[in-house]
Amino acid sequence: MSSRETILAAVRANRPAPTSLPGVVDFEGEATVERFTEWLHFIGGQVVQLAPEQPLEDVVRQLYPEAQRIASNLIPASVPVDGQTAIPVLEAVELAVLAGEFGVAENGAVWVPEANMLHRALPMIAQHLVLMLSRQRIVANMHQAYAQVGHTGAYGVFIAGPSKTADIEQSLVIGAHGARSLTVLLR
Amino acid sequence: MSHPQRAAAFTSDAERTTWHDETLWFVRQKRDKAAYGVPEFQQLRQLASDIKEHTLSRLDEYLEQFERNARANGVQVHWAADADEHNRIVLSIIKAAGASSIVKSKSMLTEECHLNPYLQQHGIAVVDTDLGERIVQLREEAPSHLVLPAIHLKKEDVGETFHQHLGTPKGEKDPQNLTEAARLHLREKFLIGQVAISGVNFAVAETGAVVVCTNEGNADLGVNLAQVHIACMGMEKLIPRTADLGVFTRLLARSATGQPVTTYTSHFSQPAPGRQMHIVIVDNGRTRQLGRPDFRNSLKCIRCGACMNTCPVYRRSGGHSYNFTVPGPIGAILSPNIDLHKHSTLPFASTLCGSCTDVCPVKIDIHNQLYKWRQLIAQSNALPLGKKLGMKLLSWGLARPGLYRLGGKVAREGLRLLPRGLSHAAALNPWAKARELPEPPAQSFREWYQQTVTQ
Repeated sequence: MSSRETILAAVRANRPAPTSLPGVVDFEGEATVERFTEWLHFIGGQVVQLAPEQPLEDVVRQLYPEAQRIASNLIPASVPVDGQTAIPVLEAVELAVLAGEFGVAENGAVWVPEANMLHRALPMIAQHLVLMLSRQRIVANMHQAYAQVGHTGAYGVFIAGPSKTADIEQSLVIGAHGARSLTVLLR
Repeated sequence: MSHPQRAAAFTSDAERTTWHDETLWFVRQKRDKAAYGVPEFQQLRQLASDIKEHTLSRLDEYLEQFERNARANGVQVHWAADADEHNRIVLSIIKAAGASSIVKSKSMLTEECHLNPYLQQHGIAVVDTDLGERIVQLREEAPSHLVLPAIHLKKEDVGETFHQHLGTPKGEKDPQNLTEAARLHLREKFLIGQVAISGVNFAVAETGAVVVCTNEGNADLGVNLAQVHIACMGMEKLIPRTADLGVFTRLLARSATGQPVTTYTSHFSQPAPGRQMHIVIVDNGRTRQLGRPDFRNSLKCIRCGACMNTCPVYRRSGGHSYNFTVPGPIGAILSPNIDLHKHSTLPFASTLCGSCTDVCPVKIDIHNQLYKWRQLIAQSNALPLGKKLGMKLLSWGLARPGLYRLGGKVAREGLRLLPRGLSHAAALNPWAKARELPEPPAQSFREWYQQTVTQ
């Protein structure tokens, strides 16, 4: 018998009495920009509110005046990136400006599906990350977030703040392996 | 060596023990703050427990559904009955990819299977990319905590390790600078890693997706730059629906570190075009645990580490004192299933205070299981001789009221008369090593009762 069959047979022999699967829950909650902003600040990110007519590119330049190598499908990019981009090119990206789908008020997370990433590694390998988000697209909690996502797709990530670690004496350090900073632009 | 012996080695450095104790208690307090911030937190714990209970009751069906969906997504699914088979499968995938260096993000399962030494024996260079795991890997140690692998170390220790291995300046101990050095060092490894191994926090049956939660982004960076992704999972990681992730992602980080969610919650279900994704489903004793009604609840564990942070014994004895992949209270109920004799002292490394059970996000009755393992260990004749004879003597004495009364009298008088050097001699009375004995009362309760309460 293959290991697959052995394992499945052992599970069938040993599994406990059947119980029912609880229904899908929500619990609702406050789906506000204020709460989203508060949590994103708490976890080390920042939120910048854009005026309706303000050009995105100008805001990005103001926030990251030193960034030369920018990858983006929202503003004119200096580094073209797609799924086939070579690793050394990706590695040199200073700033990625990408679209988030929606934000989660209870924890500051933003849903970024593969389609928005240009390359799967881009949101993590870029030194800094900017995510563009609509103010209308804030959900209260992770229940609503997964209801909104439906299927998580081939690859998709909730990104909540910049990369961080506290592995040395529990001291919080921002910028472990992924983005050193995360800015969410709300319009 | 037994748990008490290893713990004694840890506690010989009183300052460090105190630091360890206070630091983990601080994490526990952060967990409380995060939990109290969610009004429905207790309902979420019950839901998580119920979802896991249901999944375990139909685990074979969900495993088959998961496999079917993963295969349809273009993922290659492998089954491993034990650690050895798991390691052989992983090596064969690496060999087939023609790789000689791999990067690995956090995976307690691969620790459990001792994958690193196995791969190294076969000429594969393995780099752990989680900062804490990299630190302990460079020091050739095991992680001492599920989510804080290097919590047993001080920044000076890390500084010295990085000085030796990464060339940081001697005496550099600033966490910011050390982390930056590790970032630069590990970036090089990410760029050349041909194969990336990740653990799995949750596996979703209805989509075939695996979910990986990290704060550093190391899993995503490794997997998305490598040609081949191998996700290694214990079979109990399964949950039925994507919607169930709503419950578990709300509990995991809050219970672990007090964060509202991990920085990256990543869902992998299909490899990028032209690349490969493999999932290795591992049993390694889990079906046996499933067949033990008293202990199967332990399979609900989501590896948050909350039980360690709160445990008065873990906090003061350190993760290495458990000498098992998963330390702390949860390790003490998982380990006897693997080897009851080898780990026979772990269920006794507890005060049975129940704090672990109180904080467990999936409501595992950890302290009850500790108590039940103690019975089994005694029945299997695995108690140390002193404890065995002591228990026999105690039950003999406690069954004889006259002897019990006499014993009480002797103890009361004895404590008064004996010189302190004798009553508190560490060799005779380990209790008094770090504690005062109580002031002996003039009379027993029984004597007082007979004197005071007149018919």
